[in-house]
Amino acid sequence: MKASILLLILVITLFAREDRVDIKAQILEKIFSNIHVDSGVTLWCDNKHLLEELKKSSYLIITDECAVATIIVVESRESIENDENCKNKPIFVLNYELLKNIPESFGAFFWKKGRPNIVIIESRALFQNIRLSKELESYKEEKVW
Amino acid sequence: MVKKKEFGIFFLLFMLALFFVYIYTDITKAKEDIFERIQNHQIEQISYILQNIEKDILETTEIVTVDDMFSMFKKEHVRAEYEHIISLMLTSNVKYVYILYKDEQSRFRFLLDASKTDKANFNQKFDVNSPEYETVFTTKKPQVIQQSDIENLYLTYLYPIISNGNVIAIFNIDITTNIQKIILESIKPLETFFVVLIIFVLLLMVMTIMQIFHYFVTRKKIFTDQLTNTFNRNYLEETLPLLNLSNYSLAMLDLDKFKIINDTYGHKTGDYVLSQASKIFKESIRDSDILVRYGGEEFLLLINNRNKAKSALDTCERLRRNISKERFIYDDHEIRVSVSIGLHKYPYLEKNIQEAIKIADKMLYIAKKGGRDRVECYDEKESAEKFSSSGDISFVKEAIDDERVICHYQPIYDYKHSRVFKYEALVRIVTKEGLIVPPFAFLPQIKETNMHYKLTQRILLTVFETFKNNSKLVSINMNFSDLINSDIEETIIKNLQDNPHLASRVTFEILESDEINDIELFKQKINLIHSLKAKVSIDDFGSGYSNFKTIIDIEANFLKIDGSLVKNIDVSAKDFKVVKSIIHFAKQSNMQTIAEHVHSKDIYEKLLLLDIDFMQGYYISEPKEALVGEEELFQAL
Repeated sequence: MKASILLLILVITLFAREDRVDIKAQILEKIFSNIHVDSGVTLWCDNKHLLEELKKSSYLIITDECAVATIIVVESRESIENDENCKNKPIFVLNYELLKNIPESFGAFFWKKGRPNIVIIESRALFQNIRLSKELESYKEEKVW
Repeated sequence: MVKKKEFGIFFLLFMLALFFVYIYTDITKAKEDIFERIQNHQIEQISYILQNIEKDILETTEIVTVDDMFSMFKKEHVRAEYEHIISLMLTSNVKYVYILYKDEQSRFRFLLDASKTDKANFNQKFDVNSPEYETVFTTKKPQVIQQSDIENLYLTYLYPIISNGNVIAIFNIDITTNIQKIILESIKPLETFFVVLIIFVLLLMVMTIMQIFHYFVTRKKIFTDQLTNTFNRNYLEETLPLLNLSNYSLAMLDLDKFKIINDTYGHKTGDYVLSQASKIFKESIRDSDILVRYGGEEFLLLINNRNKAKSALDTCERLRRNISKERFIYDDHEIRVSVSIGLHKYPYLEKNIQEAIKIADKMLYIAKKGGRDRVECYDEKESAEKFSSSGDISFVKEAIDDERVICHYQPIYDYKHSRVFKYEALVRIVTKEGLIVPPFAFLPQIKETNMHYKLTQRILLTVFETFKNNSKLVSINMNFSDLINSDIEETIIKNLQDNPHLASRVTFEILESDEINDIELFKQKINLIHSLKAKVSIDDFGSGYSNFKTIIDIEANFLKIDGSLVKNIDVSAKDFKVVKSIIHFAKQSNMQTIAEHVHSKDIYEKLLLLDIDFMQGYYISEPKEALVGEEELFQAL
């Protein structure tokens, strides 16, 4: 986990494909290794394929139940809208537009013009007691544009 | 010899492979060149448009700084206006067009995105990962990023928007791989074809190499005698035409009394001694010398003398000494062996290698006769010196004039009746000093000269004179050119026509050779001999270009089998079969057979098995000036 996210992205970009779940999982693993919450990071994801891929991580704690998760990774808003178990949990989205539309979301990982992009909204993260490592400094934004 | 055909094919394949590799690299280069040209062309076109847009933005709106730019594009209608203009650049090849600026934290953000898909928001952060983005700002020059096929992007073109000498923003053009991919796909079958072709040619090359390797392995087996690990006669036959005999001396080696070892200790012991002796032979010679197992316990050694003739004799002596001091121990038996060697220093002086071998063999015979375990050297140059000027025509002319031409007679033995059947007349010249000069010292020099005919005439007269008053039979050697010489013909007719008693006892031994080019004339002359009641013998049969039909047609009385075939019948099953076949042929054609070169008891006994009619050779008797009687035969035992 010593290598920087930038370096990882640089390497991954060489083989990148938006539809490559394994690459997505690797980048998310790297991001969440730099995100801390008091109760510890336990992830849940609404994308089952991505969830299975994340389970291969030796670092992250992954759960199948949204209720147990401390951070939820969301690809589609509909998947959590009516789920009471997912209420009031910090959300990390996989689409920039979701970052706009879901006020609980504090960060996003998405592909823009074929390149992987990360955005962390600092104010939202602080509000949800989420601490960020310096590694994520360059991805911090004040607001969603 | 080396399989030229295989090497030729290998060379051809190699050249073909090189050609294909050249074509393949050429195509690859051409492909890269085409891509580069397309890329440059695209960039050039895009550059012109971007220059115009840049000019438009900067001049019409009076933008100077990044902040001016930011303020301008913050207005949605301005953004829409320019996005519309810039979006005109979008083609199937140009996927994304957008303008980025660098904020205070050196992060790149969108000012404008004219792309139809995956559109970014105004001021949205854009994570770039190529150093070229920074380079545009430092160099103020456009940059090209070769993308590794990310999201179907082929390359990204970064064009700086410069105001007051500073880069305030950059145009970012992402180009797809469409055209390049189409070209690649189009030439892919051609590339695959060449790759397959190169692989195929390489495979053929490997197969050819394997075949050549196999050939050399087989060749070694064919040319090597398994017992002694020396070359065999196959090798000699194969190599001889390529050898420059002037670089070699020729020696015949024979282990003394080897038959006794075989008879006393058994063949296994004999084989052991033979293999050990050949090992010593090989250790005693140089790599450039050629040792051939010639048959049984007989070896032929070609000593590479590099004109140092003396060293050949030294080699033979060293070889003899090394064998002589060795003790061979097999099954607790200690066996000592010696070797006799016949050396011909200058084999190239002979008509052919067979003649040289004959002479070396004679020397070997002399070595054996002289007590064995010795080297006998034949040196024609020394002989020539010894025999004064025997090498020139005047030597022969003087000898004829001074009546120093004589004949020695070698008996031809009729073993069935234990008697001398007849004698073969063999010419000699007596020098002024009284030395006897053998024919090889002067005959080659006068060949096809008038002196040769004069000498033949003299021989004829000498023989006729010797035999006219006795009842013995005699053979006289003649070649075709002698036979058709009018002077010689006249001499024969004159002496035999009026003396039928002598004519019936004379046999003309005609050398079987390729010189007989006029068959009809040859037959005519033979008929003349027959008409005189003289007899005809075919000499050296089996060594030349036998025309069986001509030989049958001329109705020869005798057929003399060439010595080179006879001398090995005790050791060579092949030669034995050939001699047997010749005897059978002769009998079927009503010719009596004579075997020459009978130089040992073994050969003599082998010939007895073959029902030959007559024999001649040193084992029976050497040629002598006087006619030897039966009581003088087999004295060389």
